[in-house]
Amino acid sequence: MAEAAIALPPKGGFNFDLCKRNAMLEKNGIALPRFRKTGTTIVGLVFKDGVILGADTRATEGEIVCDKNCEKIHYMAPNIYCCGAGTAADTENVTDMVRSQLELHRYATNRESRVVTALTMLKTHLFGYRGQVSAALVLGGVDVTGPHLHTVYPHGSTDTLPFATMGSGSLAAMSVFESRYKEDMDKEEGMEIVSAAICAGIFNDLGSGSNVDLCILTKGKTEYLRNYQKPNPRSYIRSKGYDFARGHTAILSTRITPLKDQVTIIEGDAMEE
Amino acid sequence: MSSIGTGYDLSVTTFSPDGRVFQIEYATKAIDNSGTVVGIKCKDGVVMGVEKLIASKMLLEGSNRRIHSVDRHAGMAIAGLAADGRQIVARARAEAANYLTFYGEQIPTEELCNRVAYYVHLCTLYWWLRPYGSAAILAGYDRDGPQLYMIEPSGVAYRYFGAAVGKGRQAAKTEIEKLKLDQMTCREGVIAVAKIIYSVHDEAKDKAFELEMSWICDESNREHQRVPADLLAEAKAIAKAAQEEDMDAD
Amino acid sequence: MEEFGCEWNDAPHSMGTTIMAVQYEGGVILGADSRTTTGAYVANRASDKITELTDNVYICRSGSAADSQIVSDYSRYFLNQHTIQLGRDATVKTAANIVRELSYGNKSFLECGLIVAGWDKYENGSVYSIPLGGTILRLPFSTGGSGSSYLYGFLDQAWKDGMNKEEAEALVVKAVSLAMARDGSSGGVVRTVIIDSSGVTRNFYPGDKLPLYYEEIPYRPTVEPMSA
Repeated sequence: MAEAAIALPPKGGFNFDLCKRNAMLEKNGIALPRFRKTGTTIVGLVFKDGVILGADTRATEGEIVCDKNCEKIHYMAPNIYCCGAGTAADTENVTDMVRSQLELHRYATNRESRVVTALTMLKTHLFGYRGQVSAALVLGGVDVTGPHLHTVYPHGSTDTLPFATMGSGSLAAMSVFESRYKEDMDKEEGMEIVSAAICAGIFNDLGSGSNVDLCILTKGKTEYLRNYQKPNPRSYIRSKGYDFARGHTAILSTRITPLKDQVTIIEGDAMEE
Repeated sequence: MSSIGTGYDLSVTTFSPDGRVFQIEYATKAIDNSGTVVGIKCKDGVVMGVEKLIASKMLLEGSNRRIHSVDRHAGMAIAGLAADGRQIVARARAEAANYLTFYGEQIPTEELCNRVAYYVHLCTLYWWLRPYGSAAILAGYDRDGPQLYMIEPSGVAYRYFGAAVGKGRQAAKTEIEKLKLDQMTCREGVIAVAKIIYSVHDEAKDKAFELEMSWICDESNREHQRVPADLLAEAKAIAKAAQEEDMDAD
Repeated sequence: MEEFGCEWNDAPHSMGTTIMAVQYEGGVILGADSRTTTGAYVANRASDKITELTDNVYICRSGSAADSQIVSDYSRYFLNQHTIQLGRDATVKTAANIVRELSYGNKSFLECGLIVAGWDKYENGSVYSIPLGGTILRLPFSTGGSGSSYLYGFLDQAWKDGMNKEEAEALVVKAVSLAMARDGSSGGVVRTVIIDSSGVTRNFYPGDKLPLYYEEIPYRPTVEPMSA
C-alpha cells in the first residue's frame, strides 16, 4: 500500500526532492558545486530627463573572481534595461525570457514597451518560484508615461524609487546616493553620482570590483556606456611579454600511453588514402 | 409550422434560411402550453402566482412545486417543463451561493438574472444539447429594491413591471396592464394575481388547478416566501367570488 | 552569496510595519509607516504600504512584501472585473471578502496581514481586518504589523465613537508616530489616506515633522548635504 502511494506520479507543481537530497549530501560533508553569483553593486537613479543605470563588472564563484569584466546591465527593450544581481544564470535567463516576451508583445501591439509591463512579468515569474530563482534586479526605462525606476526582489516584491541600489555593494552605493541625490539633476551630474556609487561598491565591497558600466535612458534615446570607468587598470605589463624558455618547467615524471587502433576492418578493403 | 420537413428544425445549431432557430421556437411552444405564471412588481415587493395544472385528482396538494426559492432574497416561478425548470433553479442557487462566498454579499438580482440567462443561452449553442423548455420568472429584493425578471429559453431576459407566460398570458397581460402597480402593496398584489390566475383559467377546457403563490416584500422581511396560508385562502376566496360574479354578469 | 554576508539581501523582503485604519462618521482613514526591511537593512525608507484596490477602497499591507503585493494585485484584478460586470462600485465588504478569499485559500503559502478600508454608500466608512490565517473581522478601528503591539492599549483608550475627520486623522498620525518610535522595524514617514463620500485624499507627514513623545529628540540635521 505504502509503495503504491509513493509510486504515484506527481500531479504538477514544484518538486523539491533534490533540494532535500542536496541538503543531506551537504550535511554528510560533500561540497556542492557553487553557482556563479554576481556579488554585485548595481544601482539606478532618476534624473531630469530619464534614468541612469549602473553596474560593476565582477563575477564571482565563492571567493574566486571568475570574470573580471562581465556585463550586468541587461537589455530588455530599446527603452528598458535591467541590472541583475544574484545568481548569474537566473538574472540572465529571467531578463532574457521577459525580453523575448516584450519583443513579441511589441510586434503584437505596435507600441513601445512599458516599464510596468516588464516589471509585472518579472515579479509574477519570480513570485511563482517563491525565491528559488535568485534574481535581484534594478529595472529602469523611459516609456510613454515617463521615466521609471524599480527594484525587484527574488521573492517577487517590487519597489518604485527615485534612486535604488542592489547586490552586496548596495550599502556602499546607497550611502553615496543618500548623501548626494537631488531631484531634477542633469545628465552629467547623474552619471557622476551613479559612477561614484558603483565605485563605492567596487572599492568597499569584496563581491564587487573591476569596471563601471553605465546605461543612460532618455526619451527616444538609449546610451549604453560599457566600461565607462576603469578604476582598476592592470598597473604593470612586462614590456618584453611573457615568454618562457623551453625546460622552464621541471618534468617530474613521464608516461606515454600508446593509442590503439579504434577501427578494425572485418570485411572488404580499407579505404585508400 | 410551415417549415416542417425542411430539416432546419432538427438542430439547435442550425439556422433556417430566414434566420430562425426552430428548436428555440419549439421550446417556447412548450411554455405556451403550460399553466399561466404571473409576476407583478408592486411598490413594496414582488408577487408571483402560478396556475399549476393538476394531472390527477390523486395528487397531493403542494407537491411538484413550480415556485422555488433561489436564495433568501430571490425566488423563481417556472412555466413550461417543470423538470427543466428545476435545472434552471439549481443553477440559479449555485450562482447565488457562489457569489455569496466569493464577494461576501448577496447576489444582486440583476446579476443573478444575467448569470442564469447566460447558462440558459449556452443550451442553444451546442448540437448535443436541447434548449430548456421552461421560462423562469425571477423575483428578487436587493439594495436597489424589488425587481422582476423573466428568462426565456433563447437566453434573453428582460426586466418587467408585470410578466405573464403560459396558456393564459395574453389575457393575463391585459389584466396586469389595468393594475396600478406603483400604488399597490404586495398584500393587494396577492389578491390581484389570484384574481388574474382564476380569470384566465379555462375551466371548460383545462384540468383542475392549484394556485401557488409566493412573494418577496417588506412584509416578508425582504425574503422570498410562500404567501401565508390565511392570505392565500382569502385571495382564493375573493378570486372565486369575482369569477362567479363575472359568470353571472355574462 | 553567503561569502559576502548578504543575509539582508537574500532574506525575504518583509515589512516590519505599523499599519492601521480608523472609521469615523462619514468615512475612513488609513495610516502606515514607510519602512521596508530585508533582514536588518532598510530596503526602502519611503515605501507606500497603502495601496489602491478600487476608487473607493484601499488596503494597508504588512508582512511579506511579495505576498501582500500579489494578494493586492489579484484583488484589484477581481474587483475591476466585478465593477465592470455590475456597472457600479464594489462595496468595501465585497473588496474585503475577495482579499479574505485569497488570503484564506492560499494561507499555507502566504505570510501577510492586511487591513481593507474604504467608503461605500451603503455602510459609509468601514474597516475590515484580514490577519494571517485569512479570517475577516469588521472593526471600528484596526492595527496591524509589528508596530501594532504598541498600539492596542493606546487605541482602546484614545479611540472614541463618532470622531470627525480631523480628530480621526490626528489619532492615526499620533498612533503611527508612537509605534514608529518604539518599534525598530517601523519608521520613516507617515502616510494617510482619507476616504469619504467626496473621494480620496492622500496626506504625507515627513519623518522630521512628526509629533514627539517621551524621550524623543527633535530632528536636527547632523551633516550638511555634500552638494550644499
